[in-house]
Order: sequence, then structure tokens, then C-alpha cells
Amino acid sequence: MAEYPAHLVHEHRLFDGRTVTVRPIRPDDAPLVREFLDELSGESKYMRFQKWVHAPSDKLIHFLTDVDYDLHMALVCAVRHGDREEIVGEARYVSELSGGTCELGIVVADAWHKSGVAGVLMEALIHAAKEHGLARMEGLVLSANAEMLRFVRALGFKTEPAPQDRTIMRISKVLQDPPARQAR
Amino acid sequence: MKKIWLDSYPQGTPAEIDPRAYASLGELLERSCARFHDRTAFSSMGVPIKYGQLEGLSRDFAAYLQKALRLRRGERVAIMLPNLLQYPVVLFGALRAGMTVVNVNPLYTASELRQQLADSGAAAIVVLENFARTLQEALSGTAVRFVIPTQVGDLFPSPRRWLVNFAVKYLKRLVPRWRLPGAVRFREALAQGAAQALDEAGVGPGDAAFLQYTGGTTGRAKGAILTHGNMVANVEQVAAWARGTLREGAETVITALPLYHVFALTANLLVFMKLGGQNVLITNPRDIAGFVAELRKTPFTAITGVNTLFNALLHATGFEAVAASSRGTLKLAVAGGMAVQRSVAERWLRATGVPLVEGYGLTEASPNVCANRFDTREFSGKLGLPLPSTEVAILDEDGREVPSGEIGEIGVRGPQVMRGYWNAPEETANVFTADGWLKTGDLGRMDERGYVEFSERKKDVIVVSGFKAYPAEIEDVAMLHPGVKDAGAVGVPDERSGEAVVLFVVRGDPALTAEAMLEHCAKHLTGYKLPRRIEFREQLPKTPIGKILRRELREEALHPHG
Repeated sequence: MAEYPAHLVHEHRLFDGRTVTVRPIRPDDAPLVREFLDELSGESKYMRFQKWVHAPSDKLIHFLTDVDYDLHMALVCAVRHGDREEIVGEARYVSELSGGTCELGIVVADAWHKSGVAGVLMEALIHAAKEHGLARMEGLVLSANAEMLRFVRALGFKTEPAPQDRTIMRISKVLQDPPARQAR
Repeated sequence: MKKIWLDSYPQGTPAEIDPRAYASLGELLERSCARFHDRTAFSSMGVPIKYGQLEGLSRDFAAYLQKALRLRRGERVAIMLPNLLQYPVVLFGALRAGMTVVNVNPLYTASELRQQLADSGAAAIVVLENFARTLQEALSGTAVRFVIPTQVGDLFPSPRRWLVNFAVKYLKRLVPRWRLPGAVRFREALAQGAAQALDEAGVGPGDAAFLQYTGGTTGRAKGAILTHGNMVANVEQVAAWARGTLREGAETVITALPLYHVFALTANLLVFMKLGGQNVLITNPRDIAGFVAELRKTPFTAITGVNTLFNALLHATGFEAVAASSRGTLKLAVAGGMAVQRSVAERWLRATGVPLVEGYGLTEASPNVCANRFDTREFSGKLGLPLPSTEVAILDEDGREVPSGEIGEIGVRGPQVMRGYWNAPEETANVFTADGWLKTGDLGRMDERGYVEFSERKKDVIVVSGFKAYPAEIEDVAMLHPGVKDAGAVGVPDERSGEAVVLFVVRGDPALTAEAMLEHCAKHLTGYKLPRRIEFREQLPKTPIGKILRRELREEALHPHG
């Protein structure tokens, strides 16, 4: 059982004054994640999975919530309504076994677009990836998803057409330089 | 920006058109009906209807909508008709009464129809009886208050009318049983309207003439708001392009593409109406023998189509004779909607002596944006030159123009570009750049003479014989089947239709067959969206984070056993 990286839990105040919590996902988030995905518009789901997704399967929910916080890191952004929580965004990376490269994915509830949630999540995700010594973050974004492309470029990602498929853009960002050699 | 394409225009073609040549499409009709009163405007199965008659019939129908149904200006009227004489009557009736037309593909399934009716908020629908059963199943949850069914022969003179209507219903059994309480038959509606006065609707260029539906990347169809001004501008643009080729009062065009599709609607119905020409309506061009027989009877000077249609004609028995006899009279053959194959273009030129001229457009631009020169003798393989009063730019990701010759997204500005999507501000914002360019979703480049070249699509869309099918919608339908765990749709090149849909399915129920899957899809999807092939897989290729890899699926679809 992987240890919960509690040090990654942070509160943030969005520019509209609302407070959100960014924290690593937990296996017991499954019902909240299901609710979150069910509430997403077809558009948002399509952007995330790049295909049509109906009600998410148990297998998908398990994949999304049962992560090892090492090769697979997932962060959610949650708000409190009294004693219950609502997930309004999630971001994750899965790193390949070698090469120090990871693939990222992010999706934000439709009502929370342009609220700053995506920025908060990405910042935390990049921080976590750096902490794990990952050198490079990559992802695939639909070419038609202009908003996402603008967003990641502002975060310093490079965007270029995927080889042999112009419907997809490959985005990438170097997280840290390869270990520097000692001078002299 | 410098309009470099203007130097490539044929002599006499204006750089600009007057987008306010008519205040509305109703005015276009009225002026043509006055000028060409005794000329044939439309014909169907050999039955003609003159401009003068069209004026009267559309007036009656307009008065029915206004007075009997008391529809208000701007309310939506749906038309679910194939190419029949009723189409122009209903179309101009609705437009003259001040309503907005929603064109509906008559082959839609109930779920597709329901979605479009609900989204548009259509208050009334005119439907060919053959499809009334589908409508009956689709009506719940929509705002439709009035249904006007019509029979194929309704505008034919008797006894032809009775014979045709009887044959369709009882001999060919083409009318599934239907029951729509409160429906008023088309002929009855015309009779009621004839007794009423038509009030001036006061429609101007800024009013919506059409909500023209087009698929969306994410499966939901959106209605492009095309105003009277947009449509008038595009008619003027195409007419200006045809100035040296077509003459007023002297043309007959073959209208085999469906009029509910914006290409035939503008290029055939409206442009030839402006010119006082005749539209020969082909109801079912898939009946290729019947189509050729019709062509044999009707001398024609122009024809429009998609590559698939021209290819089918070239391979049809008897077309050679038609082509030979139309030498000297045929002036223009225009292809749009999908890429034209060089082989088809060359064969067409050899058979008819007239080149197949390729044009380019999209629903959001009413639709015509580019066309090759009508006086060309050669197949360019390009989309053509921007039409008069049209700007085309090649844009980078940020909406800035790329250096000349480079590939980018084709952007369009001009008076024919839609106002936006109906009830979809976010989609509208996404399809325009800050500088007002309409982003087409197509990638291409412009050569030094101003010809636009297509390179590939940026949007994930499958174009089947000029119709757009979106993977999301097909996947959505596939996954409604209880035996399906996952599904992915891709397009593959197809000799006949340009592209065809291949559907990959991950079964939950191991007993699920391809036949059962197809049958399920056919219940929810109209013909062109149906998978040509179904492939079962244990899983779909995905990235570590769970995004589908369509490129790999396309590869697999191309080399099924590779």
C-alpha cells in the first residue's frame, strides 16, 4: 500500500475569493470522482479521453482513484459544501518506467472553467512531478481544443502537431535539466 | 491583407459583390417570380411548376403559417422533405412569412430528429408522409405544435397526383403506418392559406433565415445561424463567379444533391432562382437507373454533385449516351462537399467535354468560400480561389497569418459567414478568432496565385460522400448497446464515398455479432454515419493516461490483419 503524500495537500484561494483544496486522490474518492465525471459535459469528457465516454465503468473509476503516488500521481481540486466535498477538477500524470517522462491529463468541471482551478492543479502537478525527479511532462491535446493549447503554452509547454495525425497536438515541457555535472 | 487571388480572377469577375442586392430571400423570390413569371422554376418527375405558380403557392403557405397557425416572426419551421416540388413552396412560404427554416435530413432516425427539433425549438414541421412514422416517434420532448404531412404527388395535377400517391402508399408500400393527432395535410394547409392575406413580414438582412445543422466534434449537432444577408451574399458571390458562364433565363440545372444540405440549397435552388433558371429535382439519385432515365428526358446546362455522385453517373449504364447528347448544351459541372478524385475529373471531362470544377465551403459560410475558375479546362486538384468579397487566410494556432506557402488552418471572412451557432455561445466563441476569422477546421495552404490547397483535417471528422460524421456520435450510439464495453470510430479512405466509417468494439457480451451491432447502429444513425465495417477487439489502443489513440486505430482499420 502506497503511503498517502499528505504534504501535497494545500488550500488555495481563487481570484474570485472561493477557497479550494488541492490534494492527492484517495481510493475512497471513488464516489466523488464518479459524480464529477457524471456531471461533465460530453465536450469536457471528449477533450479528456478524446473519445465518447458514457457512464464511467468501475474499472475506469478504479484506475483513476487507486494510484500509487509514484508512477501514477493524481491530484483533485475539491470544494466544501458544509460537511460534504465536491471534486471540481483533477489532474494526473503517469510516468513510464524509464526515461523520466510522464504523460499528463487534466479535466475541470464545466462550471469551473476559467476559475483558476486548472492553473492551481497544473502548478501542483508539475511540483509533484519535479519532486519525483521526472525530467519531462508530455501530453496529447485535440487540435480543436484551442483553449487548452493556449493554457499550456502560457505554462511554458511546447506544442507541436503529433506525427501523422493533425487532429492531435503533442505538448511537452522540460521539468528539470539532466543532472548538472560538477564543474572542475 | 493583400488579396493576391484577385489577379487570378477571370476577366470581368468583380472583386466585390453587393451583399445587400436583396433585402431578403423572400425579395429574391418575388423579383424572380415577377421577371420570369412564365418560365419553369422547378420540375420533378416530369411535372413543372412555373415561377408564377411558385409565387402563389408559397404565398398561400406563408399565409397559412402566419394566420392559421399564428406563428410569430422568427419562430422555427422544420422541413423534412427530399427533393420534391413541395420543398421550394414550403421553404419560401416559411421565409416570406418571417420564419426561420430548419432543414432536416428525411432519413434521420427518431433520435437524431428529436435532438434537432428540440435544439432548434421548431414550432412546426412539414414532413413527407413516408417519414411521418419517424416523426411520430421523435415528437415527445420537442416544442413542435403543428405537423403538416405531405404526400409525394401533392403538387402534381390530378389524376397523376392520385396515381402517384396511391402507388407510393399501396403498391410500393413506402409509407409506414403513422398517427399524428391534429396534423393538417399540406393541401389543406394551402387551401386554408389561400383564403387569408399575407402580412408583410418586414424581414431584413440581419434576420435568421436558417438554422442549418452541422455535426460537432463532440457529438452534438449545432445549428449555424445563417441570416438572409448571409445567404443573399453567397448567392451574389456564386452568381458573380458564374457571370461569364451562365445566362439569365436560359439555364437548367440538375439538382440531385438534397436541398436540405446547404450546398444544393444555395448553389442550385437559390442561385438558379436568381438567374430565372430551372431546377430539375431528383428525388432519389441512388436509383441510378431512374436518375439516368430522367437525365435522358431533360436537356440540361448545369449539374452539381459530389465526387461520389459523378463517379456513380460515369459508371451507370446509359450515361454515355446522355453525356454525348449534352455536348454543346452542358456548360457547367460543379463538385463540392468532398475532395474530387483526379480520375473521376478526367473521366468526366472526356465523357462530357466539360470539366468538373471543384469548389470548397462549409455550412458556417452559407456554404461557398472558394471555387476553381468556371472557364478552366484542367483539373487543378485545389479548392480554388476565394470568391468575390471573401477573404481567406492561413492561420497559426494563435489565429495569426502564417508566412506565405506554409500550412495552417484555413480561415474565412466575408458577408456569407454565419453569425454564430444557435444557443451555443461557447462553441461560437471557439470557432472565431479575435480578428473575426471563421476557423474551418481544415488545414491547407495558399499558393502564390491565391489558390487554396487542402492538406488535411484538423478536426476529427469523417466525410462520407460530402456528409460529415463525427466519431463521438457513432461511439455514443455504439455504447448504448448493453453488450458493448467500449467503442472507437475512425474514418478510412474509400473508393466510392471518399471516406467510410470503421467501428472498433470491445465486447462485454461475447455473443454480440457484427450484424447485431450494425442493426443497433441503424436504429440511431442515418445511413452515411453507419459503420462500413465492425471490428471486435479485446481493448482499444490508449495512452497510459487513458486517451484513445485514433491514429493506431486508423492504421489497424487500413491493415485489418497486418
